[in-house]
Amino acid sequence: MTAPPLAPLANVFLRIGNLTFGGGGPTIAAFQRELVDRRHWLSPEQFALSYALSRITPGTNLFAFCTCTGALLRGFAGALVALLAASVPSCILVAVLTAGFDTASRWGAVNVAIDGAVAASVGILLASCWSIIAPYVTRANGVRTALLAGVSFGLSMISTPLLVLGLAAVVGWFWRERE
Amino acid sequence: MSLWTLYFLLLKATLSSFSGLASLPILREDFVVRRPVLTDRQLNTALVIGRTTPGPKGLYVVSLGYYVAGYPGAAIAWAAVVTPALLVVAMLGVAARFTGDPRVKRMLRAVVIASAGISLSATLPLGIDALTTPLAWVLAGASLVILLRTEVDTLWVMAGAALVSLAASALHLKAG
Repeated sequence: MTAPPLAPLANVFLRIGNLTFGGGGPTIAAFQRELVDRRHWLSPEQFALSYALSRITPGTNLFAFCTCTGALLRGFAGALVALLAASVPSCILVAVLTAGFDTASRWGAVNVAIDGAVAASVGILLASCWSIIAPYVTRANGVRTALLAGVSFGLSMISTPLLVLGLAAVVGWFWRERE
Repeated sequence: MSLWTLYFLLLKATLSSFSGLASLPILREDFVVRRPVLTDRQLNTALVIGRTTPGPKGLYVVSLGYYVAGYPGAAIAWAAVVTPALLVVAMLGVAARFTGDPRVKRMLRAVVIASAGISLSATLPLGIDALTTPLAWVLAGASLVILLRTEVDTLWVMAGAALVSLAASALHLKAG
């Protein structure tokens, strides 16, 4: 893994952070595809670390993920560049859209295009869930991985994500490896 | 309301939440109930805008900031949203010291697997909201297959879905 220069790093966070619809989940999935699978800037283990830390950081998970990934790639400068590139344009868009919301909501074509993009984001989220757990679905640990993901899925319907993650961390502490 | 007060109220709400819309009850309490500087209608509009723009849904906070104090309020809200993210740099420094420990590795792995389960549960409301027509189901299914089977950029998948939706609308089919 070689550390990318700040300009291409900013370009990736600018592009994916500000052009992916559907919330933080699909955006992190797009980052995983770009940073791990396509550019090989991050190893799957670094992605997992960044993803895990972003889930236990208060506030918006996506911005914590961008900051953490930027820090892993280029230290504090990388963290700042990634955070600014991923957040500033979309925040400006939100402010401008809020100012002209009544006008924009009357453009039917805009709403139709967003409906299509949001439908795609459901598929993107599902693909993301699979690509996150796929490395852990091995012959030795597949059943336990599926069980942990399934129980977390069920618990998160009735509990807070932080509690579920805390319980998972305890389970992980006592998780015994099988070869 | 001063911009400092706005910043600290928004920061308090974002610091006390761990996902996109979890700060909503606190913000409603602070801005609609205790200090009536916003209406429920503005809150709902902010949620719609956060939902329909790219990036995290938590950006509805920026829309709230705009409603409270115009563009300066939106800038302050941006600052409140990104401030907690900087905490992760310190957390990374601590975590990096322990990532060699097999137990910490297993904990992180379990947290990642659990996160996938949590993301799956977050997909449900999104799916219920978005998959209301056969075309929307087709777009979601096609996106899933394309992403699992090919190397196509996610952005092209979304752009393609938006174009198909527009084309279908022209033919009087709807995606949502």
